[in-house]
Amino acid sequence: MKPDVATQPGGQSLSRRVYSLTQRHRHWFFIGPALLILLTVVIYPIVFSTGVSLFRVTFASTSRPFVGLQNFERMLGNDDFLQSAYNTLYYVVFSVSGSFLLGFGAALLIRRISRGRNILRLVLIIPITMAPIVVGLMWNWMLDPLFGLINWFLGLLGIPGQTLLAQASTARLMVVLVDIWQWYPLVFLIIEAGMATLPRAPYESARLEGVSSWMIFRRITLPLLRPVILVALLLRTVDAFRTFDIVRVMTDGGPALTTETLSLYLYRTAFTFNKLSRAAAGSILMLLVIGLISAMMFRFLYKDIEVG
Amino acid sequence: MVVPVRERALSYAILTAMAVLVLIPVLAGSLTAFKPQIIWISSPPVWFFEPTLENFEFVLITRQNWLHLRNSLIISIGSVVIALVLGVPAAYGFARFRFRGSKGLMQWLISLRMIPPIVVGLPFYAMFLFLERATGLGLRDTHFGLILTYQTFLLPLVIWMMRGYFVELPAAMEESAMVEGYTRIGALRRVVLPVVWPGIVATALLNFIFAWNEFFLALILAGNNTSTLPMAAGTYVVRARVEWGNLFAVNLIIMMPVIVLTIFLRQQLVKGLTFGILE
Repeated sequence: MKPDVATQPGGQSLSRRVYSLTQRHRHWFFIGPALLILLTVVIYPIVFSTGVSLFRVTFASTSRPFVGLQNFERMLGNDDFLQSAYNTLYYVVFSVSGSFLLGFGAALLIRRISRGRNILRLVLIIPITMAPIVVGLMWNWMLDPLFGLINWFLGLLGIPGQTLLAQASTARLMVVLVDIWQWYPLVFLIIEAGMATLPRAPYESARLEGVSSWMIFRRITLPLLRPVILVALLLRTVDAFRTFDIVRVMTDGGPALTTETLSLYLYRTAFTFNKLSRAAAGSILMLLVIGLISAMMFRFLYKDIEVG
Repeated sequence: MVVPVRERALSYAILTAMAVLVLIPVLAGSLTAFKPQIIWISSPPVWFFEPTLENFEFVLITRQNWLHLRNSLIISIGSVVIALVLGVPAAYGFARFRFRGSKGLMQWLISLRMIPPIVVGLPFYAMFLFLERATGLGLRDTHFGLILTYQTFLLPLVIWMMRGYFVELPAAMEESAMVEGYTRIGALRRVVLPVVWPGIVATALLNFIFAWNEFFLALILAGNNTSTLPMAAGTYVVRARVEWGNLFAVNLIIMMPVIVLTIFLRQQLVKGLTFGILE
């Protein structure tokens, strides 16, 4: 910051000093209120939750004994928690990689066509803007064993009706596929926007030198797109990690917990089983894990782009 | 780029297939909203029929989902207004003043995007409950309570998006106005705001979509007085087997405003979804 004239040493009047003080801190006038609200609605709840996780608190009882890390131990030793953690990992791995490959592929393909680009973009935007709960309910109908379009179509091929959402062997895959259906267009939009900003010069010189298109893709396109790819992966990862809405309406965690995600399990722990402290401990664990993952991805990201 | 004919044909084929797979469930589902009850569940599906609005009438009036529609409007608009009132000045502050820690604060704002909603939803429920027991001050099941909690995801986004618009403006704009005798606030109001107005509108509409589609926090914190349209849609899952027409009527009511807004917002959408990190 440039030193103000008023901050120079030597006889200043009080009003000048007050003026210089407000000048030096005037950014707080603009930023302060928003920051204050964010501290109240984000940081305070997290601190509160951390506190709750160290006691045994339920919604009903008034005695709240201090139990230390017991809630964390119970959580980590709980089979259902571990099962939902495993399921969440499954969602993250398959939903992120599936939506990434499809979205990236679509972005590469759309550069090869000329007419119809705009209409295609418009169509692919639709799933992103839908409420996840609406998407889940819609696919419930598509997958309905008696009236759904999928089974009607399978019937035309001579395959008998399937209860895809009710079987442990297929339910998780179905939910992941629906998640991919909704979010691969996001990857597509991000990558496509990134590709539109790529410089032309390296491509032209590479082509002049007769470099194969696969090598151009590997040596030029991928490195230049690195920050864009990271952003897409980061967003998809944090969203897949918190999956709740579509699972809630499609399977509600069943059958036999095969589709239960961490968010869903913690929601149930707190509100169905009234174990607030244990759910708080679980949510703090969740925050630590996703914090760690996104911090590592951020690190890669900030190497590439200037933020702030 | 010169593309061989075969490659282009293949590209068209795959992309068309993708578009069709996106459109079929959306269109076929939406069609059900206009079907009379007797053909809701017919399989094979009936494609040609006389469209009716009775499902909409039934869910909005008989099932009283107009109340949910009202709550959704109040909460979405209210939370966007608050997010703008707080976020636009903050974005301006971040864009115009360099101070110690400004970069770190901006990064911190992005990191809020990573927080799973259960992490704040859970303590919010408990805090509202304990606050009510201790002081009688009820935030539970109030529009304001939800508007407040929605700031967790709206406010950082507003700041990031609006900062992008402010950074694009030359600082000389308000400086020359200030030389002419305006205060900074005066210069902001008379000179800067009229120019960034389209940006504010785009930011507002995009944030409206996010608030409108929100389900998780509402599920935890809303009650009879405040439950939103996505929650109303959620109740049809229990009845779904027999009420496809009603379910899709509610779905369509949720989707309609968003689809209309998206047509105007295509350019801003990526920016909003990525926090404008890629600018």
